[in-house]
Amino acid sequence: MIKIVHVLNQFFAGLGGEDRADLPVGKLDGSAGAARALETKLGAAAKIVCTVYVGDNYFHEHKSEAIKAILDAVRVAAPDVVVAGPAFNSGRYGLSCVEICDAVANQLSIPCVTAMHDENPGVGAYREFANSGLYCLPTAETTVGMADAMTRLASFALRLARRDDIGPAFKEGYLSRGIRRIEKSDRRGATRAIEMLLKKIHNEPFETELPMEVWDDAKPAPPLDQVKNRNIAVVTTSGVVPWGNPDKFKTYRNTYWRKYNIAEVKELEPGKWEAVHGGYNVAYMNQNPHYGVPLDALRALEQEGTIGPGKLYPAYYVIPGNQGSPTVMRRMGQEIAADLKKDNVEGVLFVAT
Amino acid sequence: MSKELEKAGLPVALISAMFPVAQQVRANRIVKGVSIPHPCGDPSLPKELDTRLRQEIIRTALKALETEVEGPTLFSPPIASGG
Repeated sequence: MIKIVHVLNQFFAGLGGEDRADLPVGKLDGSAGAARALETKLGAAAKIVCTVYVGDNYFHEHKSEAIKAILDAVRVAAPDVVVAGPAFNSGRYGLSCVEICDAVANQLSIPCVTAMHDENPGVGAYREFANSGLYCLPTAETTVGMADAMTRLASFALRLARRDDIGPAFKEGYLSRGIRRIEKSDRRGATRAIEMLLKKIHNEPFETELPMEVWDDAKPAPPLDQVKNRNIAVVTTSGVVPWGNPDKFKTYRNTYWRKYNIAEVKELEPGKWEAVHGGYNVAYMNQNPHYGVPLDALRALEQEGTIGPGKLYPAYYVIPGNQGSPTVMRRMGQEIAADLKKDNVEGVLFVAT
Repeated sequence: MSKELEKAGLPVALISAMFPVAQQVRANRIVKGVSIPHPCGDPSLPKELDTRLRQEIIRTALKALETEVEGPTLFSPPIASGG
């Protein structure tokens, strides 16, 4: 008999709505709430041994305790597979499903499947984790898709429990995690590439073996009229920070930005600043921090009037950009934009390493 | 990140040695930097020339901010790196 643990929020566990969103982690024997719908789809081969629930707010406000309590409950139940959700378009729930599954897959090596709408913020976290033990199925935006989601979750969970080989996302229907797999082919690369090229030339459909991330276009912001009369700020991903790294940036995967005062500073002296970044050789930047924050040049252009007096923003913005996930970088870009606009900055010099 | 600034209406001059990547991710005003570990200048140049090169890069970036663009556009500072 296949054993399954189903993780739900307080609402789908049938314990209450927003008023109970601060409910701590708990466990009900067998299937409760939405888990009953899953159980009916599983058939006789599998059984939900327990339903684990957590309040939407409790999870995000007490994340480490919540994850620990859930891991403990799952460990005791020792299931073959963990199912979380479906979360549809509910953001807190979607994120908690993904974070719980990621922890279970990593720390207990139990495969997990969750489901949500592809615009749920949980999907961003799912792609960021790119955890090979975690799958997320797409659902409708709202609970009108409940029956369909449960049918697909049940059949996927059974396959995971049986340790079936799961193929790539586009064949299996789960949301793509951006994991590249190595596949064996009996035809060599050059042959496949030429065939692909011929198809492309003949305007026939073809499939790349290395899909790239698709980037949306940002409409160019209108140009500045008379830049010397405009407020300009410097933003950099070079990781140049005051010596000693006071805000404890890591050399990779940073999730916050800082700004450092340069109002009274004429130039960045070596030994007073350092570059924190794991993606390039920081020796040059440490010898001359102006390679990342070109303050000497900005002051010279101020002197000659190319930049108007007082027009250079009195601080520069920095994060070490190494291995930043697009989702996190986007969020930080939005935060920095809001901060700049609050102080009437009109244009940005962005130094990227 | 730079695209989020642009979306907020702030023109950005992106100084980067990885300008093909910048074009690929659809940044709009891209200024050619010298190299990845030192985009704003060239340590192989004598100090004075290095300082001048940095000023030219910033001048080019400021000019980029004044320029109307339709999509990803590359701006090259007028003096080449001596590296």
